[in-house]
Amino acid sequence: MDYQIAMSFQVKYFGMLAEIAGLPDEVWNAAGQLTVGQFRAQILDKYPAMRDKKFKIAVNQKILDDFVLIETPAEIALLPPFAGG
Amino acid sequence: MEKAHKPKKVFVHGPISPDFVAKSIASHQSKTGIGAHAIFLGQIRADQKEGGAVTGIDYTAYEEMAEQAFHDIREAAFAKFELTCMHIYHSLGLVPTGEISLFVFVSSPHRRAAFEASEYIVEEIKANVPIFGKELVGEGGHVWKENS
Repeated sequence: MDYQIAMSFQVKYFGMLAEIAGLPDEVWNAAGQLTVGQFRAQILDKYPAMRDKKFKIAVNQKILDDFVLIETPAEIALLPPFAGG
Repeated sequence: MEKAHKPKKVFVHGPISPDFVAKSIASHQSKTGIGAHAIFLGQIRADQKEGGAVTGIDYTAYEEMAEQAFHDIREAAFAKFELTCMHIYHSLGLVPTGEISLFVFVSSPHRRAAFEASEYIVEEIKANVPIFGKELVGEGGHVWKENS
C-alpha cells in the first residue's frame, strides 16, 4: 500500500480475557488498516498473558480468519472458549 | 415458504426455576397438534477442582452476538425438524450448583423430531453461542469453564 490511514475501533473483552485486560472494553488506535491476524499480534504485545489463552476474534459479531482485513466502523470482540449449557 | 420466526428473548437472570418449566409445559395444553415434547435441562454440577468443589457458575455473554446465534439455531432447527414450537432459555449471572442454567423445550407432532431437535439444539448452543462461565470454586477461587 502507498499510504496508511489511521483507524480506531472498539474492542470488547470477555471472560478470562476481560480479567487479563482488567477492563471490559477499550478503544483501539492503529496506525493503518489491520488484518485480524495483525490485530491479534498487537493484542498479544499489549497483553502478553493472553499468549497462552485460546480465543477467537469476532468483527461486528462474525468470527473471522486471521487474513481478513478489518473494515471500520468495527466492534471487535475477543471470545474465549464458549461455556454455555 | 418458510415461516419467519421472530427473535425471542433467551437470557434470564439467575437460575431457571422448576416452576417456570412447569408453567411452560402447562401453557402448551391448548396446542393439541402436539404429540411429543422433549425437554433438556442443564444443571450446574459440583465438579471437584484444585481449589475445592464448584459452588456455582457465573455466566456472562456477548449478548448481541449470542442472541443472533440463538436465533440462527432456532431457524436451522425449524428447517431441519418437524417442530410445532421451540423455546430456549439460558441463564446469565450466578447459578448455584444443583440449579438449572439451560432449558430447551421443543414440541412436535411426533417423538422422533422432538428427541432429535433437542439434542441438535443443545449441541449447537454449546459449540456456537458466545457464553462464558466462571466456575466458582471453594472459598473465593474460580476457574473458567470450557465446553468440550
